[in-house]
Amino acid sequence: MRKNKGFSMERKKARWGWVFVTPSLILFSAFSFYPIINAFYESFFNRNLLSLRPPSFVGWNNYTYLFRSREFWLSVQNTLIFTAGTFVPLVVFSLILAILLMSISRLRRFFQMAFYSPAVLSSVVAAMIWLLIFDPRGLANQGMNALLGTTGVNYNWLSTAGMLRLSTIVVYFWKYIGYFTVMFVSGIGAIPDTLNEAALIDGANRWKLFWHVTFPLLKPTTILVSIMTMIQCLKTFSTQYMFTSAGAPTRPINVITLNIYNTAIKDYRIGRATAMSILLFIVMFTFTWLQLRVSRTEDVSYM
Amino acid sequence: MQNNEVNRSRIVCTFCLGYHLDVAKIEGGWYWRVVPGCDLLNMERRIILKKTSMLLFIVLSLIIATNVVGAQNIELTYWTHTDDNRTIIENRYIEEFQALYPNVTIKRVVNEASKMGDLMLTAFSANNAPDLFNLPIEQEYGYMMHHRVAPVNYEAIGYANAEELVSQYMAGTFDTVMMDGQIYGLPLELTNWSLYINKNVFRDAGLDPEKDYPKTWEEMIEVADKLTLRNGEIITRRGFDFRYPYYLVAMLPMVEQLGGQLLSDDGKTAIVNDEAWIQVFEWFRTFGPHGRNLGSPTYTSARKIFNMDNNDIGMCLTGFYQQGRIRIDNPEFYDSGEWMVVPYPVFENAVKDVRCSYYGHFMMVNAQASAEKQYWAWKFIAYMLDHGWEYLETVNIIQPRQDLLDDPRYMELPYMVVFMTDMAKSHMVFLHENGFQFERFIKEAIESVMLSNMPSEEALDILRERIQEVLDDSY
Repeated sequence: MRKNKGFSMERKKARWGWVFVTPSLILFSAFSFYPIINAFYESFFNRNLLSLRPPSFVGWNNYTYLFRSREFWLSVQNTLIFTAGTFVPLVVFSLILAILLMSISRLRRFFQMAFYSPAVLSSVVAAMIWLLIFDPRGLANQGMNALLGTTGVNYNWLSTAGMLRLSTIVVYFWKYIGYFTVMFVSGIGAIPDTLNEAALIDGANRWKLFWHVTFPLLKPTTILVSIMTMIQCLKTFSTQYMFTSAGAPTRPINVITLNIYNTAIKDYRIGRATAMSILLFIVMFTFTWLQLRVSRTEDVSYM
Repeated sequence: MQNNEVNRSRIVCTFCLGYHLDVAKIEGGWYWRVVPGCDLLNMERRIILKKTSMLLFIVLSLIIATNVVGAQNIELTYWTHTDDNRTIIENRYIEEFQALYPNVTIKRVVNEASKMGDLMLTAFSANNAPDLFNLPIEQEYGYMMHHRVAPVNYEAIGYANAEELVSQYMAGTFDTVMMDGQIYGLPLELTNWSLYINKNVFRDAGLDPEKDYPKTWEEMIEVADKLTLRNGEIITRRGFDFRYPYYLVAMLPMVEQLGGQLLSDDGKTAIVNDEAWIQVFEWFRTFGPHGRNLGSPTYTSARKIFNMDNNDIGMCLTGFYQQGRIRIDNPEFYDSGEWMVVPYPVFENAVKDVRCSYYGHFMMVNAQASAEKQYWAWKFIAYMLDHGWEYLETVNIIQPRQDLLDDPRYMELPYMVVFMTDMAKSHMVFLHENGFQFERFIKEAIESVMLSNMPSEEALDILRERIQEVLDDSY
């Protein structure tokens, strides 16, 4: 009898759970599932974005074309360079900043806010600010010349391939460093003080404390930040779009998302663009799956 | 009579409101009549049917009434690009037109010129485009080819037919917007670019602007170098710079001067005359940061800063309309006479005297707008364009109307002779269904050479491959 009652309570709770979850499921289906499914469907057709003619079915042709396309592989290469160049400094420096922030008691909140503030800016605004900074007469050249004791050297932030890639990495790093620092801060904050105190009593110095206590216990946060950074980097678009619109050469920073945009909006080839977006989705989905899998197996218990 | 009736039957319509069809076979012939009363339906059903029918009647009446009201009130959306001078006069035209036709409301939406192409494409692909709009013809061409714009309604614009309309404009005006005998746009402006010069900058560099202005592209490098000021490698004053996104308008003619073409005459092969292309690519390398460091697309647009007379640009390429913008941005500079316009340069070894291509902004009407909206959109366009002289004087844009061109005051406008002489040696901008895409490919090729120092031959090979792929594509 008691068992039945419990079972009924569980069902009742589950029903309410469904009530609360349903609106988000509906919205998510409408604005995420449907576009994904539709994009997958569209990727099998040749459709000109401007044409009213019905699209023609081409099977896997859009995909096979992409695997043969020099431009597609160039954009894959650019995306990988950007991801590698952004991912490592973001994870490392956000962890260092978080540790530094946790080690100070005064002005901690202020620094947290200061670091986090670029994250709330729209990517377009951030890119516009940096376009002014990277202007040949802008702060970047002035700063570098002052730093290196040179006069009038143009570092070509928006011109040469290497510097242009670096510029996009700098913008992204500036924009997201605070966001991931805050994630690490909350991760470090969740580690019970008793563990640190016990290690200190056992004679561990600050270095040992970090490597043998803090860092291992931060593993789930580090993995989460790594995966999120990687996904963010793969999705990068606004900075590259704004820079190329402002006259920077396209080829060195033609990342996959920019290629998708140009293929669809400038070239009108929506089928090919959706095929590219599906491939990008598969890569991102794989990383998300990894994140879920790793976060499940790498759960840390403080008990 | 009754005895003769055989096989009498009743057919009851379910929507009959109690009437029935009485069908009878009388003396071998079939007869029918509608008779009030229906004994097959009970009273309750009849009441429900009556109520339903009444409701249907009300709904239908409302729909018809709404359509009638809708037909009376027309709301048109007009998308155009930024131009402060034009905004002032067109807002006035809208007010006047709305006063003349109170049933018409026009919403004018202004977009940044560089973003208009993307915005328009997105709107059209979502079937949510404005009723009327203007874009550069090289972008509009695709809309016409894909039947996204409506042909001109001659009745609405007050002409009997296409011939009568064509006769009112400069010869060739409609060549680019004519398809299958139909005209798809009315010209808001026809523009070519010549070289604007800031005389102060020339004098500051010890040059005589009247004599020393560049006549050839080779001279352009030398003169620009003399005018350019630098702090180390950083340019603080450019002698000259291009309008970089517009490669088909201003840079393709440089290739054509040397005998090159983007496509072969049959339109099937990309890139004609590699030497011509490579010479132009090398010219840009010399001009850019890896050469004499005279300018680059990453600096602020030369045309935009020219008006300010801030000693930061000596020369720029732009159209007659720039004069209106100088007047509004910097009236003192406009009145000072410290600026002048000279012809578009030509290469020393040019085989063809081709000047900067001219392009048009045509007013077009969305083919998906209702017939009524299309009619009023064309009527409004005709009303606006009837003010050709005001557009010329206030906005400095040239509508190629014959009456305007025949007006003796026309050639007396400042530097109009330069523009007209250049235009006589030029042709309409390269038009192709994928022209917009080709322009992007040219942009990437020139930037690769100019900014990333890619070998010209490699950049040309990539350009050729990309354009050829589009040409060969089965779209």
